[in-house]
Amino acid sequence: MAAGDERALGELYDRRAATAYALAMAIVGERADAEEVVADAFGQVWRTSAQFDPARGSVPAWLATITRTRALDLLRARGRRARAIDRAAAVGDGGLAAPLAEPGDAPDRGVERDEARRLVTRSLAELPEPQRRVLELAYFGGLTQSEIAAALREPLGTVKTRMRAGLEKLRGSLAALLSEGRS
Amino acid sequence: MTDHAWLDAAAPYALGALSAEERAAFEAHLADCAICRAEVQALREVSGLLAHAAAAATPAQALRDRILREARQVRPLTARRRSLRPWIAAAAVVLAIAAGVAYVKERGNRRALEQAVAAARDSLAAQQQLVATLLAPDVNTAVLASKGRPPSARVFWNPSRHRVVIAVFDLPPAPAGRTYQLWAIQTGKAPVSLGIFNTAPDGRLTTALDVPPALVAFDVTAVTEEPVGGSPQPTQQPFLVGKLSGGE
Repeated sequence: MAAGDERALGELYDRRAATAYALAMAIVGERADAEEVVADAFGQVWRTSAQFDPARGSVPAWLATITRTRALDLLRARGRRARAIDRAAAVGDGGLAAPLAEPGDAPDRGVERDEARRLVTRSLAELPEPQRRVLELAYFGGLTQSEIAAALREPLGTVKTRMRAGLEKLRGSLAALLSEGRS
Repeated sequence: MTDHAWLDAAAPYALGALSAEERAAFEAHLADCAICRAEVQALREVSGLLAHAAAAATPAQALRDRILREARQVRPLTARRRSLRPWIAAAAVVLAIAAGVAYVKERGNRRALEQAVAAARDSLAAQQQLVATLLAPDVNTAVLASKGRPPSARVFWNPSRHRVVIAVFDLPPAPAGRTYQLWAIQTGKAPVSLGIFNTAPDGRLTTALDVPPALVAFDVTAVTEEPVGGSPQPTQQPFLVGKLSGGE
């Protein structure tokens, strides 16, 4: 294995691990589990990087997808997914396994990362509540659209529409971040 | 289901909110549908940014060491031992230089370079075609003019290659929704289209057009302005006309 690749993996870690770890924490809720998830995710990136096609998506989006999938797999393996669903149905506001960042949260290292967090948190907060909720339940809660519809007692079509509308709005408000991530 | 109905699945898919069955069905559709693929890709970039909405958390320093140690013990999946994982290598260089934008720029530059090379190759092939068409000994030429004033054009017909080359001068690009069309006319017969063209903003164009193989003789060429896509027969009087001469 080429030493340069290994160094590249280290640099990718330095740049992306905090975001991946925060995402894993938001889903699994425990430090040891979240570290397991991030280690798995970077392991998968390492093993499958040759298959990565930059034309089909950015590295950050790829890493986020892998991290999220791994985190939900771990929840499922621990039999904790059912609880997440219950909580989603029960809790009035958000219903998430772990708190999300609030606008104005204490910054951590990395100016660029802070900027991204600030923008994303603010854009999410600006969404109509019903749209924000379905995005969070799906992305962080790992619920399927049918599970969300059942939990919220809304028609499936309404859930789909909110997901689409929410993402479309974010696409607009996060255009600056998106154009940074993709040409 | 129509493609449009399928598009409703793009947002749930990008959010990872389809059931296994729904996902399998949508992925089967994605394999054939570029529209949905593009939508999914765009929405996935958006959903990927949601990771930034997670409350800030910093992993233990030991995690980095562990990941690098484990990587050392695992050979990446790749058929050829020596193939570097190219994006990792690119990322290494780029990340060392600057943040964020740089990776994309590198990618954009590479794409632009590839496009430029492809364009140059196409352009060279086209030029060679033009030259080959022009240099044959049996080429017929016509000077097309409009009462001695601009615009003007020259047409070179190479009968053995079934091609004409047209060079146009001082002809403003056709208005929106319109195009120029070149006609071959044999006395006493209906005009035959040799194809449509448009000029560059500088009023010039040189291009090669195919002549229908059945068309073995004509003595006049003419240019009209037609609706986009061209017409089966001219819909107006030609504004450029020229009689062919030459050919040995």
